[in-house]
Amino acid sequence: MDRIRRLALLGVWGLFAIFPVYWMAITAFKEQRDIYQGPFVVPGVDFQPTLQSWEYIAGTGRDQILLGFGNSVLFAAVSSFLAVVIGAFAAYGLARYKYRFGPFTNSDLSFLIVSQRIMPPIVAVIALFAMFRFVGLLDTHFGMILVYTWFNLPLTVFILTDFMSRIPVEIEHAAAIDGYGKFDQIRKVMLPLAMPGMAAAYLLSFFFVWNDFLLALMLTFRDAQTLPIVITALSAQMEPRWWLISAIGLLAIIPPALAAIVLDRFMERQVLRGGIR
Amino acid sequence: MKYLLIAPPLAFFFAISLIPLVYTVWLSLTSTNIAGGGGWVGFDNYARLLADTFFRQAYGNTVLFVVIGVAAQYVLGLALALAVHSLTRGQRLVRLAILLPLMIAPLIVGFIWQTLLDSRYGPVNGLLRAVGIDPVAWLTDSSFAFISILIVDAWQWTPFVFLVLYAGLRTLPTEPFEAARVDGASGWRTFADITFPMLIPASIAAILLRAIEAFKLFDIVFYITGGGPGGATGTVSLLGYFTALRSGNMGYGAAMTVVLLLTVIAIALTSLLILQRALSRPDLSGEQAFARRQSRTREVEHG
Repeated sequence: MDRIRRLALLGVWGLFAIFPVYWMAITAFKEQRDIYQGPFVVPGVDFQPTLQSWEYIAGTGRDQILLGFGNSVLFAAVSSFLAVVIGAFAAYGLARYKYRFGPFTNSDLSFLIVSQRIMPPIVAVIALFAMFRFVGLLDTHFGMILVYTWFNLPLTVFILTDFMSRIPVEIEHAAAIDGYGKFDQIRKVMLPLAMPGMAAAYLLSFFFVWNDFLLALMLTFRDAQTLPIVITALSAQMEPRWWLISAIGLLAIIPPALAAIVLDRFMERQVLRGGIR
Repeated sequence: MKYLLIAPPLAFFFAISLIPLVYTVWLSLTSTNIAGGGGWVGFDNYARLLADTFFRQAYGNTVLFVVIGVAAQYVLGLALALAVHSLTRGQRLVRLAILLPLMIAPLIVGFIWQTLLDSRYGPVNGLLRAVGIDPVAWLTDSSFAFISILIVDAWQWTPFVFLVLYAGLRTLPTEPFEAARVDGASGWRTFADITFPMLIPASIAAILLRAIEAFKLFDIVFYITGGGPGGATGTVSLLGYFTALRSGNMGYGAAMTVVLLLTVIAIALTSLLILQRALSRPDLSGEQAFARRQSRTREVEHG
């Protein structure tokens, strides 16, 4: 009885979880007519699949979609890299040194950095819009990379501090004896050891930038538009072109999926394989 | 060297969190509009907020989305985690199916569900028509629009709760469960006495993280209903955006976001206090349940 209830729950939820994605996938192969006469759910029976949306993406809409796609990939890749590198050095500092600013110590510093994540982005972003307009960073690639790096730093510092503090300090001592300076100790010894944590932090950062809508909506309007902004622009037109947006939605799954596949190998890697015996 | 390491994140903190925050608070005390005009008005914006029915509705909606949404997602996520955990085969595949919605950008989730719930061409109403039920105005009737947003949010974020709780389940020690089996405890008793108490830390983490994110709800609503019909699904983030940037009323919009921030801080601090209490109480960390089981098992063994 218990077992049947559980399987029923999983079955119902499975359908609920998968159907919307299936719907997007088939809608990407429809024409306007199939949408207006629908809802059609079985390709080949209800409607004949067409490549109309893909032809549009490769033709008329190419420049606009490519711009959004390129910007999204660029921002996600570069700002995640910066957030992980800056985050890794800071995490090393927080894990190994004792800081003191008046009454504030390490845990307060970590909290300060991580707490930014609690703040709803809308709070900062209205002021940020005015500030960016003032210094001319509105709708620039540099400005967006800056903002996304800021957006992800709390996360990378949080993940990597925990990671760094688990690496035995003896390894560094060994590296120091071998004549490595402090910077080289971090770069050549600590960072490779922290690779799994850094890969996980990079992947999460990538996802967050890829999925962001609010920051791009506020701070970009033409040159630095990301994919979600291009999508809203395309959906705002007169007849809702579901087929086209579905196709872009399908394409949009590829970069984060690729990032996950590539980074998966690094995350699996054993932290301290043969480190100290 | 030591200070060089943490200088960049602190610089980011000051430049992009603290200065904008201070600036937002200052803005909220002025009548600044997007074209540059306006002056100091003190707490007028906040006084105006109290009487603003649109804001009160958006604030109420935000709180309701957090409370109802997170509660529903927790219950569903827990049920799914337990169900998947008890599977003997196919765990990997089922897990993947459950996690699928997490991998899609919220804006695209909004798009998909807008088409699914479309009153004329959407498959949900198509199904209702097929079984002889009158089509529902999912997105244009205020109560249904509210429910629709809850459904979409649950579709996207229940997998997150599932993930945290499932990971929690996997790290539980097996001894208490074996002891319970020896006792002949029923499935429900095992859950109530052992599984649930031991999952409390993971549960608090999942609920807290979800609640913090839920307060930021923006993308899905922006795309699906734009806050409509008549403000029925508007959130503070959404109203703040429309007020500050679309209507250009930056001072007033800033005041809205400051109220949102204060709410989030109050809730985060309260939760942290509760969390600290909970973790320091043995009966809530599952240790006591474990000890109880063990002593009972011993009684059984020794007659």
